[in-house]
Amino acid sequence: MSRLKLPAPLAALRARMRRHFGAHRTQGVIFAILVIGIALPLLSRVPPFGQLQSINAWTNAFTIAAIYAILAIGLNVVIGFAGLLDLGYAAFFALGGYTYAIVASPFFGIHIPFWPMLIFGAIIGAIFGILLGAPTLRLRGDYLAIVTLGFGEIVPITLLNADKFTAGTIGIGGIDKPQIPGIVEFTLINPWPFYVLIMLMLMLVTVAVFRLEDSKIGRAWEAIREDELAAESSGINTVISKLQAFAVGAAIAGFAGVFNAAKLTIVSPGQFGFVVSVSTLSAVVLGGMGNVVGVGAGAFVIYLIQSIFLKQLNILVSQLGIPILGDIDFLQFQYVLYGVVLVIMMLKRPQGIYPARRRMRTFADSKETAK
Amino acid sequence: MAAGTVSTVRTEKPRSALALPVIILAFLAAMFVWMGFTQFLNALTLGAVYALVALGYTMVYGIIELINFAHGDVFMVATFVTMFVSGTILNQKEGIYGIPQLILSLVIVFAVTISIMAIIGAVIERFAYRPLRRAPKLAPLITAIGVSFILQNIIQYLVGPYTYNVPQLFPVDWAVMVGETRVPFLNIFVITVAVSLMALLQLFISRTRTGKAMRTTSMDRDASSLMGVNIDRTIMITFLIGSGLAGAAGVIHGLYYGNTNFQVGFQSGLKAFTAAVLGGIGNTAGAALGGFIIAFVEVGAVVLGFSRWGGAVVFSLLVIFLVFRPTGLLGSHTGDRA
Amino acid sequence: MKVFNKKGFAALAAVAILAAACGGSTGGKTLTIGISLPLSGSALASAGPAQNGAELAVSEATIDGYTLAVKVLDHAVNGAHDPAQAAADMTTLVGDETVVAVVGPFNSGSAKAQIPVSSEAGLLQCSPSNTNPDLTKGDAGAALRAGRPVNYIRVATTDDIQGPAVAAYAFSQGKKSVFIVDDTEVYGKGIADAFAAKFVELGGTVVGREAADKTVTDFSAIVAKAAATNPDSFFYGGVTSSGAGLVRKAMIQAGLNVPYYGGDGIQDGNGDGSYIAVAGDASADSYSSVAAIHDIPAAADFAAKYKAKFGEDPGSYSASGYACAQIIIEAIKAAIAGGEVTRETVRAAAVMAGATYDTVLGPVGFDENGDTTQKIISLYKVENGDWVFDAQIDYAAQ
Repeated sequence: MSRLKLPAPLAALRARMRRHFGAHRTQGVIFAILVIGIALPLLSRVPPFGQLQSINAWTNAFTIAAIYAILAIGLNVVIGFAGLLDLGYAAFFALGGYTYAIVASPFFGIHIPFWPMLIFGAIIGAIFGILLGAPTLRLRGDYLAIVTLGFGEIVPITLLNADKFTAGTIGIGGIDKPQIPGIVEFTLINPWPFYVLIMLMLMLVTVAVFRLEDSKIGRAWEAIREDELAAESSGINTVISKLQAFAVGAAIAGFAGVFNAAKLTIVSPGQFGFVVSVSTLSAVVLGGMGNVVGVGAGAFVIYLIQSIFLKQLNILVSQLGIPILGDIDFLQFQYVLYGVVLVIMMLKRPQGIYPARRRMRTFADSKETAK
Repeated sequence: MAAGTVSTVRTEKPRSALALPVIILAFLAAMFVWMGFTQFLNALTLGAVYALVALGYTMVYGIIELINFAHGDVFMVATFVTMFVSGTILNQKEGIYGIPQLILSLVIVFAVTISIMAIIGAVIERFAYRPLRRAPKLAPLITAIGVSFILQNIIQYLVGPYTYNVPQLFPVDWAVMVGETRVPFLNIFVITVAVSLMALLQLFISRTRTGKAMRTTSMDRDASSLMGVNIDRTIMITFLIGSGLAGAAGVIHGLYYGNTNFQVGFQSGLKAFTAAVLGGIGNTAGAALGGFIIAFVEVGAVVLGFSRWGGAVVFSLLVIFLVFRPTGLLGSHTGDRA
Repeated sequence: MKVFNKKGFAALAAVAILAAACGGSTGGKTLTIGISLPLSGSALASAGPAQNGAELAVSEATIDGYTLAVKVLDHAVNGAHDPAQAAADMTTLVGDETVVAVVGPFNSGSAKAQIPVSSEAGLLQCSPSNTNPDLTKGDAGAALRAGRPVNYIRVATTDDIQGPAVAAYAFSQGKKSVFIVDDTEVYGKGIADAFAAKFVELGGTVVGREAADKTVTDFSAIVAKAAATNPDSFFYGGVTSSGAGLVRKAMIQAGLNVPYYGGDGIQDGNGDGSYIAVAGDASADSYSSVAAIHDIPAAADFAAKYKAKFGEDPGSYSASGYACAQIIIEAIKAAIAGGEVTRETVRAAAVMAGATYDTVLGPVGFDENGDTTQKIISLYKVENGDWVFDAQIDYAAQ
């Protein structure tokens, strides 16, 4: 990465900030997300972006991208930190969403407020994570991937067929929005309250995950990921430790699921298919497994490419009426986007585009043994 | 692939060698009595497809411990190759009633599709998996997921997103009435082809030099290499055979259902993988057995009126087996935690 | 990450410059009609004709002092409609101040996600094809719009009329026992339920019911089960992409040679991926409905205009898409006549009690829920590899 030459005072400021935030990572994260949170909407007013769509649409897109970023950061705990491949991650996202939908919609006529449910959704996610993880985490890594994949398929089928509790295929609609009476009203047409809320949630999750990474638990995860046998012989209870990673990942998905349900106001089984798990995985792989900042950015990139860039390309090409290009539907390339990201990244840059320092070591080591 | 860990040797206990056929026959008889002949035949036919696909999963897993996620999509591509060969090259639209022409066409379709798929499988191995042979285990698995998405997209781009007709070369109306029950020859033909291929595979693995190399490689790659086995070549042959069998499954799918679309590989692949796990992954006989069991479970769900839950039942079975008996029914290869 | 962003920025910038160079025409205030449909992958076959119909109507219309424009957003993700993307697209349209009304969506699942958004914005939305009753009627409909005035209207008749219409049709052809399969989705299960209720009420028997979601490709077991019950007819609740054609093919292959009935989900012409194309010769003796008028006034004229612009014959919902756009344009004109064009005046004009619009479908009005007052079901059968119109029944009179 090349470094720009900054004027002396700015360089000094940068050095000071780096020192400060290096020592106080939590403050650094809060500061960085504040800056990003303010910069994104401003950026969307800059000419090339401002012309693509309105600022509200951009803000809404950033909100959805941030949901994916939270999911990616959560999945990263499982994959990147603990080295467990979870292919059914969307199931926990679904469980969080349905938990909130059931208790905050006209379907049962119950209306529990959003705020406690945000926490409760995370707890439900964690509980299911533990329920699934406890019997399966003893399995070898790739078996675990398949169990989670099966779980990811079973959950939507169950939601579909347990229609007394989930309204079946129609899904639960009319879900309550968050409320802060007298201060701000959450509506579907004004994206700002949801945007601010998701940025705060992103901040919370990122800080929590960073703290975990630096804690005893996080070091245990790293040890397991690098060499489980060695970790076990140094006295780490690997099953408990993996379970923790699984539960934390699932809790983050449940947390995001509650927000997603409140924002979309509807949950239905079709929203939580394998594609959601794979796009989250793509974000994690793109950002670099184990790199919290990277996977968050990866999620933004993947979501914005698939939902804005490809779409605008379609509109543009059809407007221009270019004969051959006009027949190509760029939105169809969403699928290949995931595929190419996964293959190319694994073959050419398994540590991610912007690797975490710790992970670089891992992949460097494995490269050496290959020789 | 921790070289030092010893894998359980894949010979079965003498007792089970005799008990197994008896159990299988008893199971089949029970199914036959319970669901009736027509559903029994449906299950066997569906099972034949699952079993052929499951073999590819189990062989690859046995030898490089990779869940080849893209294998279901290799099967999907095979259905399209079948469509292309019988529709475009042979220019057929429906059943061929002249027996010599039918035999000739079938031979061509099977031979061409199996060859093409074998090559595609080997190419995937060469470019997507081989470079990652010593990488951390997650890497090839994630790559395989990527390859799966790419294959689907290529077909969607080349052919289109819809469901397409595959010419059913073998006449679907050839049947014989046994009492009240109609016995279509197509089902009999499909089952016969599949079972013959499986028997051939067993012979190949147990009798040939290459088969022996495959077995030793799956037990201990480094030791085999020291003994003069060409590992790269052996692994490539495994992919050739596994993908070729998926090719055969693709032809059968085309003949039997007469349709395909770019998404048929995902679910069938997942179910075939379940079959491989059920039978004991790494164990070829087990994979075949698992394929038939999964088919009986699915058809059984319909017979009982649980068609809505069909998929959930199969995947629950997958989870339950992985948790409680990860070695599968025929138990092989308890495997190391690499 | 830096590298990636730079490339992304450059590409985006290039796109924007091109977009600016070919921007829309000017001439008075621009009024935009949004079109929000699933338009890629296999969803395109059914929804594309509706888009064409709507664009045709807008291209023909002129309003003095205003420029009409369309803004098309595709909410298909990986080839199928995606409710989350549909909601996001509606937010995009709401955020564009020039958008005064929207044509879409196509699928009931996406409508469920879009209506709360458009309702809050008070943005008029007209679906050419939604038929699920719960979108507008009863508690479910009220919950979706959360007590606000109606902003969602549709020109297709609901499944609580369509399903029974097919049941009555089958019964009138002497069918007494039916085996039903649905695809577990909103539309398929709903119409199958409505069909079954009416069929039983008429005195018929439902001899069995099974379901298979869109991932199922092997229908032999379900068909064998159906054959064992000896029905004299078969009903499929679902759409072609869920397996309508596969079921029919499996039926004939297994020797279950009874008439096959379905709703508008299987009436998708005979092109690539359509029910007729998938089932092939097995599609003979199939019957379906469309929740819209067949004998549209000036049908030949419409077909000719459509073919001249798009080079193909109109699809099942082309006229409906056209009608939606017509109604929106009429509502805009009414709003202009009333003083000013805002989302609210356009919405109010469209759903005004007693208002009737002279559309390509004939006269159309809307009841207090926003459902069309034109309750006509058209029935079709397959003859020589294409759908042939058989009868149309007007339920408004009944």
